[in-house]
Formats: sequence, structure tokens, C-alpha cells
Amino acid sequence: MEVLSQVEIAFWPALADSKKADLEAMPKGYIDAALINGAIRTQENLEMVRLLREKSKLIVAYGACAHLGGIPSLANLYGREELLKAAFGDGWRPGPPPGAPQEDAPPELLPKALPLAQAVPVDYTVPGCPPPAGLIGEFFSAFLSGEMPPPGHVFAKVKALCEECPRTREERVLKKIVRPHEIVPDPEACLLDQGIICLGPVTRGGCSAACPSAGMPCTGCLGPTPKAGDMGLSMVSALASLVRAGEEGEAAIPSENEILDQLVDPIGTLYKYGVPDMPCAKEGEG
Amino acid sequence: MADFEPKVVAFLCRWCAYAGADLAGTSRLQYPPNVVPIRVPCSGRVEPSWVVDALQKGADGVLIGGCHPGDCHYVSGNYKARRRVYLLKKILPELGIAPERVRLEWVSATEGKRFAQVVADFVEELRALGPMKVMSEG
Repeated sequence: MEVLSQVEIAFWPALADSKKADLEAMPKGYIDAALINGAIRTQENLEMVRLLREKSKLIVAYGACAHLGGIPSLANLYGREELLKAAFGDGWRPGPPPGAPQEDAPPELLPKALPLAQAVPVDYTVPGCPPPAGLIGEFFSAFLSGEMPPPGHVFAKVKALCEECPRTREERVLKKIVRPHEIVPDPEACLLDQGIICLGPVTRGGCSAACPSAGMPCTGCLGPTPKAGDMGLSMVSALASLVRAGEEGEAAIPSENEILDQLVDPIGTLYKYGVPDMPCAKEGEG
Repeated sequence: MADFEPKVVAFLCRWCAYAGADLAGTSRLQYPPNVVPIRVPCSGRVEPSWVVDALQKGADGVLIGGCHPGDCHYVSGNYKARRRVYLLKKILPELGIAPERVRLEWVSATEGKRFAQVVADFVEELRALGPMKVMSEG
């Protein structure tokens, strides 16, 4: 599809010489659609997206970070102070270089990394890490033809990734949990059946199951299906249902626990692209 | 903190734990009024997301009551519930929730007394733990 001939790039800091002042000079609603990627992590990010919202008719969350918070939002499991301490050591405060004016200080870190929709109203989402070409195409053909779906639409399937996965599902029980590097997976069989944690059952389809087709598990970059809701918790539910250590019963409990304990880094595995909506403070830290 | 009354949401399986709670009532047993029972078909029906949802929306603890091992009306729902709670408790601390706030107990239809005791113990434990902390926006 030819896109560039049909649009004019109004603002693209990564590619064109676009400055904040250029954006400020535009009239309200001047931009037809702003595709925004990345999580909202700093005060500056927040200012920019608020400005873009004002100047744009449509805001599109583009990519997993803008959609869900992405990997940067895993830092939300820790407080802002904890993060600064881990990165820069005790006692360091973000500020301007010695002797420089205050305005040279790095932008202030927000308490949490936010998905775009928590910073400004978002009209559409093109998900993925990175968004698959097919879904980008779907967005642009709808946008350029003027036949857009209702606002709020996520340009991916409502059904789970498993529906489009070429692998075959047979066992429907999990007798062990392994990490992808620990085994050479069978090329035809379902990865989950082989003990690899694949988030296909709770993730939106739309990428033709690119990762499972290549022998790697789905890590959930297209985000949860509307039915799954919370990815990690839905997957906890699914895994717990699948784990078997022989005949179910009281006697099997210790071996079932052994299998469940093989799940390494549950949060990083089950919530790789975002834990932004867990508004609980860490307990037991005063 | 002295007047803190923990709120407990209890998902009780209709065959065992809910009947046990009923028996506690008809036997006029005294137990703390902090618990809001919700009848579910089976403890295996309880989704981890319901548990977290309850905790995020104001509950200080969640009790899941199911049939004793071997007694599940649907054969294995209680085992499924156990595995779910086991896995859930592994991720709760990382999400910032004390795992002690979620408790799974087996209560049969004849165990009204046990139900009252379970609730009393849980409420006391939650009282000691304090209210569920929810971080404010920004």
C-alpha cells in the first residue's frame, strides 16, 4: 500500500526536523491523526501528548507501550524512589549538571509509567511489539478510505491467537513447565502442551501467530483479548487448570506444586507488556 | 487502627462451604459480621481476577470456601481452585498485595462451627495486617 503519497507528515521528531515550537504554532485540530508510541514516563512525555491531543483530530496509541504501558511499565511494581536509587544509587537527585540552570535538569519522572490512554483520551489502538505490518495496513486502509471503525477500536482480532496458530493442540495438560531455551520444541505440537508458557490463549490474534510459528512462545504483545481482561490473572487461571501430576487428589498436591514452582519470573512472563492497572502500593514497606 | 473493621468477600461453593455458612446461621453460632458471602457453583469457578478485583475495590481479604478433597460435587473443581490460589499467591506479593489476604479453606456442609471459626480467625489476621493499601493516582 502506498501511504506516503497520500499523507503529509506534520510532525515526526524521529525522522523530520520537528520541534515542540512547530507543534505549538499549529492551530487546534490541525493534524488529522497522531500516531504515538511509547509509555508516558516523564512530565515532558505528558506535556507533549497533551499538546498533540489538542492539535490532532485523532490520537492513535501505536505499539505495545502506548497501548498497555509496555516493558517500561514493569517498573510500576516499584516506587519512584526505589527506581532512582536502583539506577543512580543513594542520595542522587535528578537535577541540572553542576553550574547549569534549573531548566537543564532532566524531565521529572512520573510516579508510574502510563499507557497513553491514562494520559489523554485515545481514539484508536494499533497494538504489537512491533505492530505487525498487516495491522498497520488495516489501520491505514481504514484511515485513508475514511471508513474508520467506531472509536475505541483496537486494530487486532477479538479472538485469541490460538485460533490462528498452525500448531496442533492435543494433550491439554501441563506435566512440566520449561523455559524456551531448555528444550527444542516439536515443530508441530502446541508449545503450551510441551510445557513452554505461551500466552496465545489470552492474547489477541492478528499477527498470524508469528512467534509460535517460529518456535517461540507468544509473549502477549497484542494485548489481552476482551474476554481475557487481565492477561496475567487469566493465564494463572488457565495454567492452574492445565497442570497435572498424575491422578488429581490430595496425594498429587506436592508434585503439582513442584510443577507450578517451575514458573520462573511469573510477573515478567505473564505481564510482559504491562502491569499499569494494579493500583496497589507495596505492602510491608511502611 | 483500633476501629479498623476488615471487609471480607467470601466466595463459597454452593455444595459445601455455603451450606456450612448456612448451618452456622441456623445453629445461631456467633461469628464476625465482616464477611460478605457470595454463592458460587464451585470453588473451581472462582477466577483469580475476581479475587484481585475484590481487593482493589475495597475488600481487605478474600476467602474462598470449597469442599474437602475428594468431596467436590464436580469431582475436581476444588483441586483446580487450590492450584489457582497457589499460583495467585506467588504473584500477589509482586503486585503489592500481601498473600495472607487470600485464604482458601475446605468447609463441608456439616461444618457450621468450622466456618464460624475460619471467619473469626481470618478477620483477626486481617485486623493485624491492617487495611488494604491502595496507591492514589499521581
